[in-house]
Amino acid sequence: MLNLIKNEWMKIFRRTGTYVMIGLLILMVTVTGAFIKYQERGGSVPDNENWEQGLRMENTSLNKQLEEMGNTVPNSKIHYYERQISLNEYRIEHQISPNEEYSIWGFVNDTSQMIDFAGLFTIIIAASIVASEFNWGTIKLLLIRPIRRGKILAAKYMSVILFGLLMLSILFVFSALLGALLFGFPENPSPYLSYYEGVITEQSMFTHLLIYYGLKSVSMFMLATMAFMISAVFRNSSLAIGLSLFLMFTGGQISQLIALKFTWAKYILFANTDLMQYFDGMPMVDGMTLPFSVAMLVIYFILFLILAHIVFKKRDVAS
Amino acid sequence: MTGIVKLNNVTKIIKGRTIIDSISFEVHKGEIFGFLGPNGAGKTTTIRMIVGLISISSGDIEIDGKSIKKDFEQAVKHVGAIVENPEMYKFLTGYQNLIHYARMTKGITKEKISEVVDLVDLTGRINDKVKTYSLGMRQRLGLAQCLLHDPDVLILDEPTNGLDPAGMREIRDHLRMLAKEKNMAVIVSSHLLSEMEMMCDRIAIIQDGKLVDVQQIHDFVQGSERVFAFELDDQEKALQVIRSQNPNIKTEQTDSSLVVTLKKDQVPVVVKALVESQINIYGIQEITKTLEDRFLEVTGERVGNDHA
Repeated sequence: MLNLIKNEWMKIFRRTGTYVMIGLLILMVTVTGAFIKYQERGGSVPDNENWEQGLRMENTSLNKQLEEMGNTVPNSKIHYYERQISLNEYRIEHQISPNEEYSIWGFVNDTSQMIDFAGLFTIIIAASIVASEFNWGTIKLLLIRPIRRGKILAAKYMSVILFGLLMLSILFVFSALLGALLFGFPENPSPYLSYYEGVITEQSMFTHLLIYYGLKSVSMFMLATMAFMISAVFRNSSLAIGLSLFLMFTGGQISQLIALKFTWAKYILFANTDLMQYFDGMPMVDGMTLPFSVAMLVIYFILFLILAHIVFKKRDVAS
Repeated sequence: MTGIVKLNNVTKIIKGRTIIDSISFEVHKGEIFGFLGPNGAGKTTTIRMIVGLISISSGDIEIDGKSIKKDFEQAVKHVGAIVENPEMYKFLTGYQNLIHYARMTKGITKEKISEVVDLVDLTGRINDKVKTYSLGMRQRLGLAQCLLHDPDVLILDEPTNGLDPAGMREIRDHLRMLAKEKNMAVIVSSHLLSEMEMMCDRIAIIQDGKLVDVQQIHDFVQGSERVFAFELDDQEKALQVIRSQNPNIKTEQTDSSLVVTLKKDQVPVVVKALVESQINIYGIQEITKTLEDRFLEVTGERVGNDHA
């Protein structure tokens, strides 16, 4: 198995396209860093001594709005307000100012938006890893080795996951290095406040970012798995890339539109890929919970892999 | 001699259409077995079934006693193959391509790789990218790829396709050497008859998915009857003499000679009769039939039979 993964790795990293992807990722982080650094030069950290008062005022207005809305809005919206209020109260109680200087963690947090690009590149690799073998005709020499087809497919899938992890690591490590270089570490690091089901816990920014990366990349790995499945089933990398990217950018919105009218929207893959919604947002459909989403993701994941496996195994390599 | 590759009533049905219809044959170690047929007859489909690329609808294929259906890994272990063109990873070097395939079979050493590279004469260019290779070099790299694990069976689909005469000869010599010295069973398919004639020990003819015939190449080409051209001074008279002896004999008159189809032991009888009839014989020459003639004869017969 290790040898098979080594083979896939060799095929990925002997192509210039791969280096272009990594280069682009690094370039985007660098440009973002330069841009923020340039902007920061003018202003200093907002030195608002009256932040406590500000938060109290915000809470008063939020409470007022909450009363006015009454039962006319969905539960999730009420939860969102409640979350904001309790976070503010927590800050006042524990003397944690929302004003903090911009540092390495702020930068890593900002560049984490680029996980989508890491996802895009992973999807490209996932979409081509099976289909290319058919396009090149090399599948014929690959499948006449004394190795079961299922094993070859599994090695390919693992290589995709490894590639995704590599892209994420490059993004995280490079952002952290550049952030440390440009913005330095904070003098007195303020913790991140995590709110889950009414309970507030303090996390260090580093832990928070790791969790954030983990949750954000769920969507990326699900889409990569889908692209991989399409690639194995239809042997067409363009279709796999096109469909996956289309759904990556629109899947969330489409599910949201459906969620306005129908509750079965919660069974759609894209209603569940964003697990962040349970921590700093509101679930797309009322009644959705973290365990529900995780279960849905697992079901889709298994479905994709089984489909890819069955079709790949049965396929007559005839052309 | 026992067959290392055995096909038993192999049938392939795709969407209700029978592509391959109950084919059976055996290939032995140390022989070059030709697989001959017009385009679309089912050569490639059969070869792909032997290496497990295409599933078998009914029947079975055994390689060294292991079923390719039930025991794929054990069966295909003995096989090295190029199916159609040797498609390689063009962005890798020749050596990386070989490493790639070497990793997929247990126990292939670096020494073995260099040995194979040497054998196909690619040592000078093995570290160049495959996209810079000529077709002949790719073909040789393809051959190297199948030889890495010392297979007992070598399967080549159209091995000389697109090669110049020198390249063809090279491949041919390689294959002969492998069959004789390493005692491999070599299966080649082709529609190039002259190629097959020079290369193969036995051939199978396949047409419309059915096996027409399996024969030693020599027997196949010649049949039991031979054709002789008699150079004579009086063809008309000779014709009468031969006809009076045996009215069913096939004859044909050309400008310079009388062409007669005879069995070997009939030759002296005919000559004697001609001499006794005062006909001067300037020369007798055996006309060798080519595989092409025979192939058209055999496949033509079948078409004829189908119409009858």
